[in-house]
Amino acid sequence: MTSIRKDLAAVSRREFLKASGLSAGGLIVGVSLPVSLLGSAASTEFQPNAFVYIAKSGDTTIWCGRCEMGQGISTALPAAVADELEADWARVSVLQGDANKKFGPQATGGSNSINQMLEPMRKAGAAGREMLVAAAAQTWNLPVDKCYAKLHVVYNHVDDRSLPYGDLVELAAELTAPEDPVLKTSDQFRYIGKPLQRHDQADMVVGQRVYGADSKVPGVKYAAISHVPVLGGTVKSFDKAAAMEVPGVVDVVLIPRFENAYGSVGGVAVVADNTWTAQQGLTKLNIEFEAGENGSYNTTEYKKQLVKNVEVPATKEFEKGALEQAFELAAVRHKATYVGGHLSHSPMEPMASLVWVQDDKCEIWASTQDPAGIQKTIGAYLDRKPEDITVHVMASGGAFGRKFKCDYVQEAAACSKAVGAPVQLTWSREEDTQTGYYHSCSAQHIEASVDADGKVTGWLHRAAFPAIGSTFNPAVVQPTAGDLDAVSKHPYGIENMQVESGMAKAHTRIGWYRAVYAIFYGFAINVFTDELAHAAGVDTVQFLRNIYDNNKVAEQQEQAKRCRGVLDKAAEMADWGKKLPANQGMGIAVHHSFHSYVAMVVHVETNGDDITVKRVDCAVDCGLVLNPDIATAQMEGAIIMGVGLALNTEISFEDGAVVNSNFHDYPVLHIGDAPAEMNISFINQGVSPTGLGEPGVPTLAPALANAVYAANGKRHRSIPINPA
Amino acid sequence: MSYTITINGQVHKTDVNGDMPLLWFLRDTLELTGTKYGCGIGLCGSCTVHIDGNAMRSCLMTVKASNGKKVTTIEGLSKDGSHPLQIAWLSNNVSQCGYCQPGQIMTAADLLAKNPDPSMEEITTALEDNICRCGTYKRIGLAVADAAKQMKGA
Repeated sequence: MTSIRKDLAAVSRREFLKASGLSAGGLIVGVSLPVSLLGSAASTEFQPNAFVYIAKSGDTTIWCGRCEMGQGISTALPAAVADELEADWARVSVLQGDANKKFGPQATGGSNSINQMLEPMRKAGAAGREMLVAAAAQTWNLPVDKCYAKLHVVYNHVDDRSLPYGDLVELAAELTAPEDPVLKTSDQFRYIGKPLQRHDQADMVVGQRVYGADSKVPGVKYAAISHVPVLGGTVKSFDKAAAMEVPGVVDVVLIPRFENAYGSVGGVAVVADNTWTAQQGLTKLNIEFEAGENGSYNTTEYKKQLVKNVEVPATKEFEKGALEQAFELAAVRHKATYVGGHLSHSPMEPMASLVWVQDDKCEIWASTQDPAGIQKTIGAYLDRKPEDITVHVMASGGAFGRKFKCDYVQEAAACSKAVGAPVQLTWSREEDTQTGYYHSCSAQHIEASVDADGKVTGWLHRAAFPAIGSTFNPAVVQPTAGDLDAVSKHPYGIENMQVESGMAKAHTRIGWYRAVYAIFYGFAINVFTDELAHAAGVDTVQFLRNIYDNNKVAEQQEQAKRCRGVLDKAAEMADWGKKLPANQGMGIAVHHSFHSYVAMVVHVETNGDDITVKRVDCAVDCGLVLNPDIATAQMEGAIIMGVGLALNTEISFEDGAVVNSNFHDYPVLHIGDAPAEMNISFINQGVSPTGLGEPGVPTLAPALANAVYAANGKRHRSIPINPA
Repeated sequence: MSYTITINGQVHKTDVNGDMPLLWFLRDTLELTGTKYGCGIGLCGSCTVHIDGNAMRSCLMTVKASNGKKVTTIEGLSKDGSHPLQIAWLSNNVSQCGYCQPGQIMTAADLLAKNPDPSMEEITTALEDNICRCGTYKRIGLAVADAAKQMKGA
């Protein structure tokens, strides 16, 4: 820990900000940039979005406004700031920004942080550098263009004088921030593109990294909760007195459903002196629930119904060309139906937050992906203005989309309000597994035609899945045209297409799970393509090359080219086509999602129903790679999650409630089942950087299923292949 | 009833309910939060500590059963983060979210104390029930092998 971080540990970040501005004599650079640069709605309002702080000592602090959940954003973006600032990374401390509009949009999802924030963050650093250089030029009475910054020091081209940053901060602080600072060219990058070590790992390995679940304040009480198991159900009765008899129990709090997409489904919480006592209190409550209208939800039946809904004509949402004619003229026709189950994010840190509701303020410490979402939701719950809700963004022990929703924060607020003390609520793993915002289960039916030249001429695609929109608006009972865009605009560029939406009313909360709809679209499209290639008698890699090369859609040219690029690279890495022993096979998949491009070759060995993933070769095009080590780690993690969801994990419902409860029946991948070899390559096809949190997930399952087919001839069209 | 537990070399006397899992005594009573809750039933390994030198799941070990025992948590594995595993975890950039890593490191430390020269298969077997949802398994294996090499050389 550098000294500034030690000091910071003693005071809250907000106090520090205040104090540093008043007395520390440092330079705080707040850079205003047009909101349009951030990719959000047009606005004339200028917002400061990044903070660089340099103390008189030269010690530098860079704030990250985006939320850290393991993806490394709080290293990648601040390192880019440090690069433009010409700061010495060894003298930089990174701090997580609290919820505050000055950081720009903080919601961290959709693999968007780098696309949205890299340029504004770089400009924040560059502005700081220009001010320090200007301050040195003024001190030396030299023209600014004779001065330059290098690693925390300003030099000039005239004589051998130099000034360290710390000596310049007072003068620099009096200067006006430049409106349009000049960014480095790529040959000048010092940290961008380098495998810089993450700033947060040292704390992790000694148990000092503070996650939402670890937050403490004096006088804290601890809560545990049991939720209504069926969406829309209610608590009928519970034995409060029995729980209150447990020594150490402070209160029992009935939490009604909060009718807000990010609010509690309802339940009963016990507040106590420690988490275990609260859990003991729960066991005495003997809660009876009323199931309500979703009480008959059964996923086995539901998925059968989804299949029926896509095997007959459904709601047409997109069409082009003449599909019927293409089908009539086909040399080869094929059709198949694909099914996927619900998934739970199951981060290792279950939902947890610390909330202190007081008459005049509300302070929150939470693992979250959406600090402003907390402000809005808790503001609505407490009938206060969002900006009056203070949110300290804590490190998330994994999130994967789940911690976008803040139901667990609202529940902690309800407990704090009831007992008049700060309350740390930690969900049990069982509650985490059974009260989620699940990845949609799905069914898709595809029919396609190939002409005598081996060209794919027609594509009919029907999809039915409970849509995320249903969580915000129960009137949404089938995928919208927008939900189907990934199919309608898929870079195969098929000339004759029809895309249809099947009925799929939601009976549970649906949320964003890492890679979202790309998981099942990537699965169905890639497995179907493999089937089509086999039906046409063409090697799948060659078949895919032909498809991309035949793409004549003007607005898909770049996509087709970049898909082709990763396809070729992955095939080369895996030595596609090489002879393999019996019961082994390779499968390939390519998918474009979240602005990035991924191709994977999975190599499996099968032994009966047993599937071993021996090796994965993965080619990625996300443009410029900010930090190759962190980027590689994201792909390795996506592969592990992909193997788990391809083979084992599924959330099932019976009588409206989740059947799974913990890691024994929701078996996420263990180390022994991880691929023995993973090779990741990045090819930069010369474009601006895009995100990587999600795009690695969708290709694994279809490449694996295609590999199993190559190994033993079994065609798997449903994931997980071997549910627990 | 009072219990005496030595935690990271420091003697703690407590009169908490003896049925409380050690995990929650560490986290809520002593505020040693490096030991993590992940599943509560011994499936994930995030709460792994050493009890009298053996890696144990602190969610399954009660305060009563820990009476008179020596407990080491991630905070006490080394004074300054200098255990070869901690160093290897950094040089291999293992952690993503980092939440499960204290448990991974404590399990690996127990392995290396008993088997200074483990094969990759032995490493994988020892860590089979420590779950990492971020998927850092490849780097965990490499880091443990690295640390073993360092310890042998030392």
